Amino acid sequence: MSHKKSRGRGGGGGAAASGDGHEDLARPPPLQAVLLADSFTLKFRPITLERPKVLLPLVHMPMIEYTLTWLESAGVEDAFVFCCAHSHQVKEYLEKAGWAGKSGPGSMAVTAVESHDAISAGDALRVIYDRGVIHGDFVLISGDTVSNMSLKDALQEHMDRKKKDPLAVMTMVIKHSKPSILTHQTRLGNDEIVMAIDPETKELLYYEDRADNSHLYITIDKDILNNNPTLQLHNDMEDCYIDICSPEVLSLFTDNFDYQHLRRHFVKGLLVDDIMGYKIYTHELRSGYAARIDNFRSYDTVSKDVIQRWTYPMVPDVISSRDCSESRLHRQGVYKASDVTLSPSAQIGANSVVGSVTSIGDHCKVLNSVIGEGCKIGKNVLINGSFIWDNVIIEDGCKVSNSLVCDGVHLRAGAIVEPGCVLSFKVEVGKNVVVPAHSKVSLLPQPSNEDSDEELEYADTNSGITDSPPFSSMRSNGDQSTVPLEEDESGTSETGTCGVVGYIWTSVDTGIVEEWRQSIAPIPKEKLEELLHAVSDDDGSEDESNNPTLPDKDDSSDSVVEDDDHISKFEKEVEETFQRALGGGVNRDNLILEINGLRLAYSLQHADCAGAVFYSVMKSALVAAQSTNDTLLKTTADALGKWKDLLRNYTKTVDEEMEILLKFEEMCQETTKEFSLLFPKILPYLYDTEVVSEDAILRWAEEKEHADESDKVFVKQSEGFIKWLKEAEEEDDEEEE
Amino acid sequence: MEPDAAQNPSPVPPPISAYYQTRAEHHAVVSSDWLAHAAAAAAAFPPGADAADAAALPPPPSSPGAGGGVIEEFNFWRRKPEAAEAVAAIMALAAVIRSSRATTMMELEIELKKASDKLKSWDATSISLSAACDLFMRFVTRTSHLEHEKFDAAKSRLIERGEKFGEISLKARKTIAMLSQDFIYDGCTILVHGYSRVVLEVLKLAASNRKLFRVLCTEGRPDRTGLRMSNELAALGIPVKVLIDSAVAYSMDEVDMVFVGADGVVESGGIINMMGTYQIALVAYSMNKPVYVAAESYKFARLYPLDQKDMTPAHRPIDFGVPVPTGVEVETSARDYTPPQYLTLLLTDLGVLTPSVVSDELIQLYL
Amino acid sequence: MPDVQPLVSDFVLKLKRRKVEGSHAVARQTAELLRSVVSQHRMGSSANQAAALADAVRAVGEQLIAANPIELAVGNIVRRVLHIIKEEDISSTAVGIEGLSVTVDSDGEYDSEHDDRPALSAAVLAAHARNALRAPSLQTLLEDIPVSPAISRTASSTGDSDGKSKSAGDKSSTRKLKHDVIAAIGDLIDEIDSCYEPISEQAVELIHQNEVILTLGRSRTVKEFLYAAKEKKRSFRVFVAEGAPRYQGHVLAKELVEKGVQTTVITDSAVFAMISRVNMVIVGAHAIMANGGVIAPVGMNMVALAAQRHAVPFVVVAGSHKLCPLYPHNPEVLLNELKSPSDLLDFGEFSDCMNFSTQDGSPLLNVVNPTFDYVPPKLVSLFITDTGGHSPSYMYRLIAEYYSADDLVVRRKATS
Repeated sequence: MSHKKSRGRGGGGGAAASGDGHEDLARPPPLQAVLLADSFTLKFRPITLERPKVLLPLVHMPMIEYTLTWLESAGVEDAFVFCCAHSHQVKEYLEKAGWAGKSGPGSMAVTAVESHDAISAGDALRVIYDRGVIHGDFVLISGDTVSNMSLKDALQEHMDRKKKDPLAVMTMVIKHSKPSILTHQTRLGNDEIVMAIDPETKELLYYEDRADNSHLYITIDKDILNNNPTLQLHNDMEDCYIDICSPEVLSLFTDNFDYQHLRRHFVKGLLVDDIMGYKIYTHELRSGYAARIDNFRSYDTVSKDVIQRWTYPMVPDVISSRDCSESRLHRQGVYKASDVTLSPSAQIGANSVVGSVTSIGDHCKVLNSVIGEGCKIGKNVLINGSFIWDNVIIEDGCKVSNSLVCDGVHLRAGAIVEPGCVLSFKVEVGKNVVVPAHSKVSLLPQPSNEDSDEELEYADTNSGITDSPPFSSMRSNGDQSTVPLEEDESGTSETGTCGVVGYIWTSVDTGIVEEWRQSIAPIPKEKLEELLHAVSDDDGSEDESNNPTLPDKDDSSDSVVEDDDHISKFEKEVEETFQRALGGGVNRDNLILEINGLRLAYSLQHADCAGAVFYSVMKSALVAAQSTNDTLLKTTADALGKWKDLLRNYTKTVDEEMEILLKFEEMCQETTKEFSLLFPKILPYLYDTEVVSEDAILRWAEEKEHADESDKVFVKQSEGFIKWLKEAEEEDDEEEE
Repeated sequence: MEPDAAQNPSPVPPPISAYYQTRAEHHAVVSSDWLAHAAAAAAAFPPGADAADAAALPPPPSSPGAGGGVIEEFNFWRRKPEAAEAVAAIMALAAVIRSSRATTMMELEIELKKASDKLKSWDATSISLSAACDLFMRFVTRTSHLEHEKFDAAKSRLIERGEKFGEISLKARKTIAMLSQDFIYDGCTILVHGYSRVVLEVLKLAASNRKLFRVLCTEGRPDRTGLRMSNELAALGIPVKVLIDSAVAYSMDEVDMVFVGADGVVESGGIINMMGTYQIALVAYSMNKPVYVAAESYKFARLYPLDQKDMTPAHRPIDFGVPVPTGVEVETSARDYTPPQYLTLLLTDLGVLTPSVVSDELIQLYL
Repeated sequence: MPDVQPLVSDFVLKLKRRKVEGSHAVARQTAELLRSVVSQHRMGSSANQAAALADAVRAVGEQLIAANPIELAVGNIVRRVLHIIKEEDISSTAVGIEGLSVTVDSDGEYDSEHDDRPALSAAVLAAHARNALRAPSLQTLLEDIPVSPAISRTASSTGDSDGKSKSAGDKSSTRKLKHDVIAAIGDLIDEIDSCYEPISEQAVELIHQNEVILTLGRSRTVKEFLYAAKEKKRSFRVFVAEGAPRYQGHVLAKELVEKGVQTTVITDSAVFAMISRVNMVIVGAHAIMANGGVIAPVGMNMVALAAQRHAVPFVVVAGSHKLCPLYPHNPEVLLNELKSPSDLLDFGEFSDCMNFSTQDGSPLLNVVNPTFDYVPPKLVSLFITDTGGHSPSYMYRLIAEYYSADDLVVRRKATS
C-alpha cells in the first residue's frame, strides 16, 4: 500500500504542451514560464564549479525549488527549465524532487531544456526560441529568484496593455524600497538602479543598473525628455528580475543575436534603439516579496528574509523539499527539526535554523545562522551569522563567523573561519588554523583563463586532493591576492591536519573593494562611513540631476559625462573586433552588429562609435604600412576605401563626422604621430569617400578658430583644403540663387 | 469503607499508616537515622518492620477469620519494590479465588467480598488498595452475570486476569508516560512534588526522547521522598534543583508546569496525594501554571471528600530535628486533598482526562 | 489506488501551499477526497476488508495531516471517516451473521469474553467490537482485550466467520460495507455543509431583544448566527472588532449592514473599553480542543479575558467538524502559524531596517504575525455546535461520540 508519487513520465510535459495547442481556440493559451537555471556569472565561484547555483540550498531548500514553487502557485502551467552548466545535476534534481513529468489538473508541467554552448541569457532565449515551445505570454525568471507575490495583477495588466498596444512586449516587476544607495548596497550588494518611468502609463523609459557611487549624476537622452511630458525618476525601486514577456521577446533576441544580458543588452537596447517601437512597462509590487540572489551578500539577506517569513508560505516549517522530519518554528524565530540532538547547554540564538539529524555539543553558541542536515558540531563552537550546509563536521572550539561552509567540510578542533569566507565542498581545515577573512577555498584549482565570462561546467576536473601550502604561506596568499597557482601546488609539504586541504583562490579581477561589497560578512565600519559620506554628498547633487537641463547644452555633448577610462576600454574592444573582421572572420554586417552590441554594453552614443571605428581603421592601415610616408598614405587610402561603408554607417549626422575629425586630430597629436604629417592629405580623401561632409569640416574649422594655437596646427595645415571647400560652398550658394 | 481502628496493625495513637510505611520502605532515601527515630517515635511498632530489607519483614499480626491469608498474601506482594499497592491487593484477591472451595459464582463472590473488606479495613489509609479491591469486585460481579459461562471457566479466567494485573499496572505507567510526552516541550521547567513512580517514568521517557527540560524537586518532608526523586533524575542526566517545601511559591515564576502523582483520584476529579500537593496546586493556579496529575486509572476511588478532614487520616512520624516541647500538638497527617478546580488535566492510562471526566468514569463503572 | 493518487497529491500540495485554508473548506474537501479514496479502493480478497479500507484511509490521512498540521479539521475528518468505517463494519458483521439486525446499544449488558470460540454469539461479538470503539475505561481495564489491536482482532474473527459462511455472501457483504461507508461519508459531507443551520436555529434563544453583541473578525458561523436572529425579528446591535491584521471585521460589518443590523466597528484594542456595554460575546473558532480550549483568530484571548473581567458570557459557535480530539500542548507555539510580516508592514518602507550587513548580521526589526490564539476552557462560557449548546467540560463526551480512541494518532500500522 505504498503511495509513491508517480514519476519518471518524462514525456508528460511535452504531451501536455502539445495538447494545449489544440485547445487554443477554446481558451487562452496556458501561461508558460522560462526559468533560467544558470546565472551566467561567476559570482558564486568556487562553489558553482561543483554544483549549479540554482541547486545551492537557501535555508535548506535549493533556490530553484523556491522559484518553481512560486511559478506553480502563480498559475504557470508550463515551465521550461533552461539548464546549461551542470545540466545533468539540474535534471536529476527535477526528477528527484518530482517536478519533472508531473501532469494533471492544477499542477505545473516542467520540462528541462538543455544546451551546452549557451553562455548568456540571450543565448538561452535563442535556444528556447529554436525549440518553438513558447506559444503565448510567458514569465521569464532566473532560477535564483525568491518570491511570493501574486502574479495575477501583473499578468492582467500585461494582457490588457497588450490588447491595446501590441508593441508592449514586456512587463518588468519592480518593488519599492527605501531610496538610499546605502540600503541597496548593504542589503543586496547591488548597485543602485535608476529608472525613469512614465507615471501615467508606467512605461519604462530609462534603465541604468550600473550607476556607480562615483557618479553623482545620471545621463538621460534628451529625446526621452522631449517625448515625455511627465516622467518620474526612481532610485527607490528594486528590480525583481521577474518579467512577463510576449513571445516577441524571443524573436527579438533571435533577431539581435548580440543581445546577451537581459538588462544591459535587451532592456537598454530596446529603450535606446527604439527597435520597432517596442515598449517595456513596469509593474510595481504592492504586497508580497521578491528578490533575486545575485551574490553572497544577497544570499545572506534573502536567507534572513526567509527566516523572518517575508516569503511565507515558502518558509522552512511550511514547505520542505525533502522528506525529512519537518522542522518547527519555536519562539524567537528558531527553526528546529524534531530529531536534532542538542546539548542542554548549547544556545541557539534568535533567527537560526537547525536541520535534522544534526547534533550540537555542549556550550555551543549558534547565532543568526543556518545549519544544515547531518552536521556534527563539537563543544564550545561559536557559529555566528554563517551558513553551514549539510554533513559538515565542526570539531571542538571552532569559530565560524559570517561565512559560507559547503557540504562535507571538516573543520578540525580550534579552527577559526573569519568573516566573508567561502569554504567549498569537502574542504578540510586543520587544527587551530585561521582562515583569513574573505578567502575562498575549494578542492578544485582556480581556472586559469579568467576572462571566459561563462559559468561552464567544469569539464576536465583533475580534482585530486592537493595539499595546500603551509598555513603561513596561505595567509600571505590572501593578502597579496596575486600569488600564482603553481606556487600553491609546489609548496606542498604539510599534511592536511595542520593546514587546509584545498586550493585557496586568489581573488579574481574584483579587488578587495568588491569583496566587502558582495560577501556575507557585515560591511566594515569605515566602509560604511565612506558609503554614508558618498550618500550625503550625493543628496546635494541629486536634485540637479533630477531636473536635467541637458536640452540647452551643445548637441555634441550628449555623452558628456563618460570617463575616459570607460571610452578607452570601449575603443580597445572595438579595435579587437575590427581586427577579427580584418582577419576575415566576420562579415561586415555582423561587424556592425557586434560594434552596436558593444556600444550598448558600454552605453555610449553613435558618435563614440564613429570615433572608435575610425581609430581602428587608421590603426590597421598603420600596421599594414609601417614604412615610408608614401606607403602609409597609400595603405590609409586603401583602408579608408575598404571600410568607408562601415564608417559611413556611423557618420549619419554632422556630430558624428565631427567626432571623426576630432579623433583624427587626437590621434595625430597623441597616439599615432605617424599620421600628423599626412593629415592634410588624408582629409580630402575622407571628404571624397563621403565619410566626412563639408559641413563637418567647416564647422570643425570654425570651432577651432577660437582655440589655442597648439590646437590649430591641423586646421592650419589643411587651410588650403578648407578654403577650397568654403569657396565651393559659396559657389553652390550662388548657383542656387 | 468504615475505618476500623481495632483491626489496624498498630493500635498506638497516632497510628502510623501502613501505606506510608511501605512507601518509606520502597523509597526511603535517608533511611537509617530516620528509621531509628521513627522506631523511637512509634515504640509499640514491631521492631522488624523498620528494616529496610523487605524480605525480612514478618507478616503483620493477622486477624482471626477465614481470610487471614489475604493480608499475608497482600503484604508479600506489597514488599516488591516495583509492585503498586493495587497490584498487591488484586494478587491477594486472586490468591483467595485460587484457594477457594466455593462451587458457585455466588459463593465465590461472597467469599471474595469478605476478603476484600478485610483487606480494606486492614489499612484504611491506602486509597489505591480499596480502589483496587472495588475494581476487582466489580469485575467479578460483572463476570458472574454472564450466564453462558461455566463456573470453572469463569473462575480460572478471574485468576488469570488477576494475576496479569501486574502487567496492566506496568503498562499503565508506560501509557501515561507516552501520553505525557506531548506536554513536555523543550526548554520547560517542571516542578515535581515527592516521589511518584509514574512521574519518574514520565520524566525518564522524556529524557530518553532527548527533550531538554529542567526539574525542580521539592524536598518532600518529612520522609524526604523529593531527595530520592532528585537522585534518580540526576542519575538520568536531567538538570535538577531541590527546593525546600516552603520555597514553592518563591520558585513558581520559573516553573512552566507542575507534575504530581496521586495516591488516589476521587470522584470529584480531585486528587489525594502527599501533604503539600494542595498548596502547590494553589500557588500554581494563582500564577496560571498548569498542574498535571499522572495517575493510573486503578487509583480512581469511590470517595467524595468534602474538605481536607473528610478522609481517613493517614499519619506518619515527623522529625523536627529538635525535640518537640511537651504539650505541643503535631500535625502528622501525611496527605491532603486537592480539589479539581486547581488541576488542569489528569494523565491516565485511559487517556488524557479533565477532572470532570473522572467522575463520569466512576459513575459508569459503579452505577 | 493509483487513480486517486493524483487527487491526493494535488490536495496535499494545496494544503502545503496554503491554497486551501479555513476549516470549513478544508473539512469539506478532505471528506470528498476520502470518499473518492474509499470508492476507488479495490476490495481485495483478503479476509480483513474493513482493516484494509481503514489502512487506505489512514495512509492518505497521514499525508494530509502532515501537509498542514495547523488545519486541525483535516485530522478531524480523517478520524471521523475511520470511525465510520469501524461502525459500519460492526453493524454489517452483526447483520451478516445473524441475518437480522440486532440492536446492541446497551453494551454494558453484553460485555463478554470469547476465549472459548464456539460459545460466542454474534451479539456478543458485536457488542465487544462496539465496546472497543469507545475510549478505554475502567470497565475494560481488567478485561483481556488490549485496546489498540482490538479492532484487527475482531475484524479477523469476522473474516473467520465469514469464511465459514459462503463465499458469495462474502463478496456482497464487502460491497455492502463499502457502499455503507460511502453513504456515511456522504452524510458527513452534508453535515459539514449544513452545519450552519442547526447552529443558527439556536440564535433566537440566545440573542434577546435590544442586546449588544460583540464579535471579533469574521466567522461565517457567526454571520449566519446573527442573520438568523435578525430574520426572527430580533433587534440587536453588534460591535465588530476589526481583527487586525487581516481586518476581516470590516467585511463582516459590511455584510451585517446589508442585512440591516445595527453595527459598530471598533479597533481590537478598544474591546476592553466597550465590553462593559456588551451583553454577550459571540465568536467563531478555528478548532475546539478536547479539553474545551479554543484555537481562534489572534486577539481572541484578549476578548475572552475582557469578557471574563466583566462577566460577559463568552459564546463560541462552531460546527462539529471543528471538534478536535487532541489536547493542546504548548498551543501558542505548536498550534499556531506565523504568517508573513507583510500583513503588518510594507517591505519596501522598512527595507532599510532589514539590513543585515550593517550590524553583526542580526536584524534589529523583527515582525511576529501569529494567526491564532488559544483561549483556555475556563474563559469559555458556552459552545454552540450543531448538536446544541455544551459547556467546555462536556467536550470530551462529544469527542467520544465522534471519534474512536485508537485513531487519535493517525499513522499507518507497520504491518499494512
